[in-house]
Formats: sequence, structure tokens, C-alpha cells
Amino acid sequence: MTTLRRNATVAWAIARKDALAEVRGKQAAVSTLTFAALVLLLFGFALGSDPRRLADAAPGLLWLGLVFAGLLAVGRFHEVETEDGALEQLTLYPVDRRSIYAGKAAIGALAMLLLGALLVPLVAILYAVDVVHALPVLALTVVLGAIGFAAVGTFYAGVTVRMRAREVMLPLLVLPIVAPLLLAAVKATTAALTGDPFGELPAWLTLLAGFDVVMLIAGAGTYGFLLEE
Amino acid sequence: MPQTTIYSSPRSVGAPEQLPPAVATHELARLFGGHPALAGVSLTVTAGHCVLLVGPNGAGKTTLLRILATAIRPSFGTAAVDGLDVAAHPDLVRSRVAYLSHATGLYDDLTARENLVFAATMLGLEPASSGGRVGEVLDEVGLAEDDVLRVRGFSAGMRRRLALGRVLLARPSLVLLDEPFAALDPAGIQLMEGLLDRWRHSGVTALVAAHATEHIAAHADATVQLQGGAVVRVTGDGVVAWPPAREPAAPRAVEVAP
Repeated sequence: MTTLRRNATVAWAIARKDALAEVRGKQAAVSTLTFAALVLLLFGFALGSDPRRLADAAPGLLWLGLVFAGLLAVGRFHEVETEDGALEQLTLYPVDRRSIYAGKAAIGALAMLLLGALLVPLVAILYAVDVVHALPVLALTVVLGAIGFAAVGTFYAGVTVRMRAREVMLPLLVLPIVAPLLLAAVKATTAALTGDPFGELPAWLTLLAGFDVVMLIAGAGTYGFLLEE
Repeated sequence: MPQTTIYSSPRSVGAPEQLPPAVATHELARLFGGHPALAGVSLTVTAGHCVLLVGPNGAGKTTLLRILATAIRPSFGTAAVDGLDVAAHPDLVRSRVAYLSHATGLYDDLTARENLVFAATMLGLEPASSGGRVGEVLDEVGLAEDDVLRVRGFSAGMRRRLALGRVLLARPSLVLLDEPFAALDPAGIQLMEGLLDRWRHSGVTALVAAHATEHIAAHADATVQLQGGAVVRVTGDGVVAWPPAREPAAPRAVEVAP
């Protein structure tokens, strides 16, 4: 088995294992979705009933909902390793630590994509925004944002997994780092929904892609050290 | 034709002289918050021996096993498995070592079979052959009929058996067992004893930390007693410690057919 194939097999096994555990622990998945929907609903209430104001705020609220729910998801994909010494066992397998990071980041990104697939229609309904005409660009933005968020979230979930206060520490560490991603994703989403009148969409998408590449390389290169005790 | 009887130290028959010791530590120490859990342990274990580690709580038995398993790094000194330094070559060491710790390292929401299939993938078994191997191991540890049940519903003894199954998947040269008889029923204890014998006869080195020694004493070549993070006594064959603190092994009669 070549090294690349071996690493891909390991990453796939980790992502599959985490997905199985998540699907079988239905309460966790349902609570994440409910939390994301409540964030969107409550922000809507806070902004009032002005349709124009709601439509203007929709991109920002969509990404806040995604980021908050995504924090829960990436945290849980590491929390499963705290069961009965699973994390220590995971570190003792003769595998490249980058493949563990890749598997965790992949399932984190997939969870974000699923959240995006559910929250985008919800935003369209709650804030009366027409998303159909912008779907391809919106999908690309969500994909790039999901990868970047998962890259950062997985790294910091590895940092906090051995901490007692990991539920508090994870948002404190992740949110400042994903600020550029949040800004670029909101701007790209706004441009996509408004037909990109100022031609700024390519720049924001490029920034998102660059953020993804940098964070994936940094995360893969350093994640292995986090697993050392 | 009369049989020839020769006298030899146990397990030295046919052992190549040039092989490095299965385990070699030099002034090995590990601090936790400034407190030495292991305080300068120097010993070698010859390949193919079963060594019992005994000592009171906090003696350093688990710390020694965890360093050899590469779960933690030494604070001072060195440790090597098959001549490979655990700090310098952890990946190579991991492919030679199987570790059964206090915790089982299992995933509650996966079934017994899924847990072992995951372990087989992580250990590098080819997907084509791992399914059959997982089935054999499940059968061996007595969980073949429970293979589709989620581990969450398993008793402590069943979890222990499944974790033992993961050790069997690995085919290691060094097995590290921390209280392996804990939570096992009589059938499980018999299984464990059989495995210790099998490893011993197939040249696999085993280090076993245990408080209750009645099940393992008959299978061990040597006993290392630890106290306060240091070796205080070594008995049996296959282990050398510094400073010397051992009783010589009694010669064992080995009958060899002409």
C-alpha cells in the first residue's frame, strides 16, 4: 500500500467512524440543528419585522448560525475520543498524524456542508431572500467556508480536547481566528445574493480559498504535536 | 536411540545473539508535575520473555509501560524497543508494540466488529484480509455472537475482551499489558493465560503489570519489582537491571531430540 493510499484510507476510516457515532447519537445532531435554527430565528426577532433590514442582515446571520453550530460539531468529533481512553489509543496506532487531522477536518467540513444545506433554505424562508438565482455561487461560498472553518476548528478542537473547560475554550480560540473567514464569506454571500454589482465576488472567493489552503497546511503540520501528552 | 539432555537458560535456545534486547532503558525517568513517577530505571529485557512488573500503587509500572508504548515521552533517560529509541522513532516503535491499558480505548456507539475493523485499518491491515481476521479475533475472544452489538451495552469484562482482540490484530513483537486480568471472568482469565503462553512460545516479548499475580506467575520468566519509581528487585531470567538487583535463574532442563 502506498503512503498516500494508506493516509487516505486512515483519514476515511476516521471520518466514517465519527460519522457513524454522530448519526447513532441522534440527540447531538438534532440539538445542533435546533440550535442553528434558533440562532437564525432569534436574530430575526431581534432585528424586527422590516423585510429590507432582514434581507440585508441575512448573509451575516447565515454565517453566524453556521459558525456557532459548526463549533458544536467539530467539538463533538473530538469529544468522541474522550470515551474510555480512545484518544490515547488513537495516538498509539502507527499512522501519520496528518491523516488523523485530515479525517477529522473532512468530517467537520461535511457537517458544515450539511448544516449549510439546511440553513440556506431556512434563511430564504425566514428572511424572505431569493437564493435560487445565486445557488451555484452560494454553494461554492459555503464549500470554501466549510473547509476553512473545519481546518481551524479541528486544530483547536485538538488543542482543547484534553481540557476540562473545552466547551468554553474552543469558541474563545476559534472565533478570533475565523474572523477573516467570516468576513470573506459574508461579503461573498452578499455579493452572490445581490448580483455582485461591484465585481468584488472573485476577490472574496480568492481570500476564502487562500485562507483554506493556509489553515489546512498549518493544521496538518502541527496537529500531530497536539496529540502528544 | 537415547535422548540427549542439555541444560540451558530458559528461552535462549536458538535465539540469535545479535538481536537487540526487546526492551532497553537507561536512567529512564518521568516527572508528573515535578513528582518522579519513574526515577532512573535501567534495565534490559531479552526478546521472547514474559516479564511480570509488580509493585504498590504509584510504583511506576503503568508509567514504564506507557513510555514503552509511546503514549508519553520520557523526561530524562532513554528507552528503546527492539533497538529503536521510543522518543526518536515513535512511529517505528508503534508498529511493533501492542498496549492494553486500564482504559479500553473503544468507541461506545460502534459495534464490536466496527471497533475492530477500525483498529485493523489503523494498524495497516489490507481491507481484503482484515474482515476475515476480525472475524477470527472476535471468535477467539469469545465475542463472535455479540459482534453486531454496540459496545455501549457491553459489560466491563466484554469490553476488556474486545480490547484484547485489538491487541491480537496487531501481531506485535512486544506486548504491554496493564492489569490484563482485571474484570475478566474465569473463561476470560483462561483465555488470557493461553495468550500469554502463546506469545511466550512464539517469541513475542510481554511486559505485564499486575497486582494480583496468581494467574500470571506460572507464565512469567522474570519478575521486576518497582517501588517509588525505581527497580528494587529482579528475579528470574531474561531481565538485567542496573544497579544489579537480581537473583540468578535456576537452570532449566530442556530435552532435545537427537
